Amino acid sequence: MKVFTEVFAKSLNKKGEELCGDSVEVVQSEDSIIAVMTDGLGSGVKANILSTLTVRIASTMLKEKASIEEVVRTIANTLPVCRVRKLAYSTFSILEISDDGKGKLFEFDNPPAIYIRNGKVIEMPRREFYVEEKRIYECDFMALPGDRIFLVSDGIIHAGVGGLLNLGWLWENVAEYLERMVRKRYSVAEMVERLIETSEHLYFGAPGDDATVVGVGVRNAELVTLLVGPPEDKSKDKEVVQKLLESSGKKVVCGGTTANIVSRETRREIVTKLEYADPSIPPTAQIEGIDLVTEGLITLTRCLEKLRSLANADNFTIPLLRDIKRKKDGASLLVDILINQATHVNFMVGKAVNPAHEKDFFIEISGDKVKVVEEIARILKKWGKRVNVEYY
Amino acid sequence: MFEITVCVGSSCHLKGAYEVIKEFERVLSVYGLEDRVKLKAGFCLGRCGEGVTVKVGENYYSSISPKDVANLVEGIKNNILKDDVICK
Repeated sequence: MKVFTEVFAKSLNKKGEELCGDSVEVVQSEDSIIAVMTDGLGSGVKANILSTLTVRIASTMLKEKASIEEVVRTIANTLPVCRVRKLAYSTFSILEISDDGKGKLFEFDNPPAIYIRNGKVIEMPRREFYVEEKRIYECDFMALPGDRIFLVSDGIIHAGVGGLLNLGWLWENVAEYLERMVRKRYSVAEMVERLIETSEHLYFGAPGDDATVVGVGVRNAELVTLLVGPPEDKSKDKEVVQKLLESSGKKVVCGGTTANIVSRETRREIVTKLEYADPSIPPTAQIEGIDLVTEGLITLTRCLEKLRSLANADNFTIPLLRDIKRKKDGASLLVDILINQATHVNFMVGKAVNPAHEKDFFIEISGDKVKVVEEIARILKKWGKRVNVEYY
Repeated sequence: MFEITVCVGSSCHLKGAYEVIKEFERVLSVYGLEDRVKLKAGFCLGRCGEGVTVKVGENYYSSISPKDVANLVEGIKNNILKDDVICK
């Protein structure tokens, strides 16, 4: 069975620090996704360097199928030694989930990952082994659609320690909080956001440590194919429309001329809505068999803006996520499909340029289509989406 | 039924299609023609370089701004009245 894994991460910096001492990296290999979270010794620049190095080494080597022993050895031999503590140290949690659902978890000195299935925290059977005198926990599991896994740094578990709470927030409390959110049907992105927000409150807005949450959601794969712009060569119109119609999942058409081509080739009428959900974004249209039909560049640019603010680590994104679910303008509908529904996204980008769009004013507000699509693809990949862009 | 289609493609949108639609809605109700004229939006009428494009019956008008709308509706009204006379 094919599963898909999405990953959302967020961090809080220790009070007064510009850099975070925790690092997260998500990489896609051919048939799996790897999420790595590391927590460097100390805080600020030093911790940031240690955790960044560790996260990069681990994610890069694992992507190339190196063994965990090699990775740990490389990290141990590469990290600079702290002058004060005579130590080279960064914790790590590594989670790999293959497309067939096989999962692997390695943990070194981070709080244990929290695994939630059917609204309940389940125990992960861990084995321990040693590499370079480091005790590492290992766990194999089989991920099922609906499962959620959270990697948290100790800054989350210890939120409020010595202040609001004597012992801080314990692992059990964090786990229970996450359980409650799953039962309330929060999305993974919302859960990450809430957990970070609550930790910040427990610290009274002044975190005593860097704190990081990586939320991993396992889902059934869902493909979305988007046709953006007409092909450069008109004789290919038929071919791209055929390909769009034959794709297995949801279908989206972006662009007025493109929609006309789809209508012509399928002999199905376009019904354009007269109502503007948002006066700054052109209305959407309907073509039978197509899930969403929007205008092109303006809608895509607004879609990119929304994705950018969702991806911006400094933003509190729950209001934005709610907005996107509620609003009915083309850009919001498109973002909803891309982030809440799609797991696999296929962009079919036609490279024909509308001569009227070449006028300066258009470039100023929108830039060009190819760049906008590429940037959207880049952001979607950060969340673990499988994105493919092809040009016609 | 008489049809008016206002283009809402990218270029026309940027040049004020929204305002043109709002003005059509207002003027058509002033003239009491809502039941006889169907106002529609269209996706790219293929005249992107020429300002907001409006299709009235079978005729295309380009570079339309809200101030031109009253004139167009006036013309439509006269046409409809003429038809009425002939029918009678």
